[in-house]
Amino acid sequence: MAIKKIAFVVDKLPYKGESSRLALTHCIASQTVEIHLEEDENVEPVLAFVGNGVLNCLRNQNAEAYGVSTMESHIKNALLTDIKVLICEEDVKRLGIAEENLIMDAEDFGADMTSQIVPFSEIMAEIESSVHLMYF
Amino acid sequence: MKLGVFVSEYGTTNDTLERLKADFLGIVLVQNGVYNAVVSENGQTSPVLGKGTKVYALSEDLLVRGFDPSKVDKRVTVVDYGGVVDLIFNNFEKLIWL
Repeated sequence: MAIKKIAFVVDKLPYKGESSRLALTHCIASQTVEIHLEEDENVEPVLAFVGNGVLNCLRNQNAEAYGVSTMESHIKNALLTDIKVLICEEDVKRLGIAEENLIMDAEDFGADMTSQIVPFSEIMAEIESSVHLMYF
Repeated sequence: MKLGVFVSEYGTTNDTLERLKADFLGIVLVQNGVYNAVVSENGQTSPVLGKGTKVYALSEDLLVRGFDPSKVDKRVTVVDYGGVVDLIFNNFEKLIWL
């Protein structure tokens, strides 16, 4: 089976712009594209947060004041659809974020998949092994 | 002059902010600017907080981004939308948006 890996990399902050939200919606949408593919083809999206983009992954977001869905809910939906979610370890440390404050699972959404905090080199390896790179 | 400065971006440096001078300078952190009130990079708090001026942060923007308004840097006063309106009308003569 020919698997086409697509890497979605987010390095922008959430909410002020649509960039990171688009990354999530495109990434999740790519999971559904397989219905349009040939039998021997498939798509494997990988979602990675680097730089200040890791701040998208903070728990307890409440976007009621903006009247929009939270990035937290999008990331949990990504986990629910079995998307590999990677968070850059170096940037988490640089910004002083504790792991318990990150969205590491989506059990409340019924997802089995969990996020992974990984070194940037591992994210780089995912980028290198992907057929397409989408940078947000 | 009483000058209010709205900061809506998160960044380690802001040259314009460094050069501003006023009898009273107040910084209002809104949108992504609120990250300056809570995030420390490599253990260093944002230089925006080190100007010795009064710094405010909008509570609604903190909540959206997953931060507890009661846990911001001690130098920051948290205000809601109504509080920002009060600041604009009562505390500042002029306003700029960085």
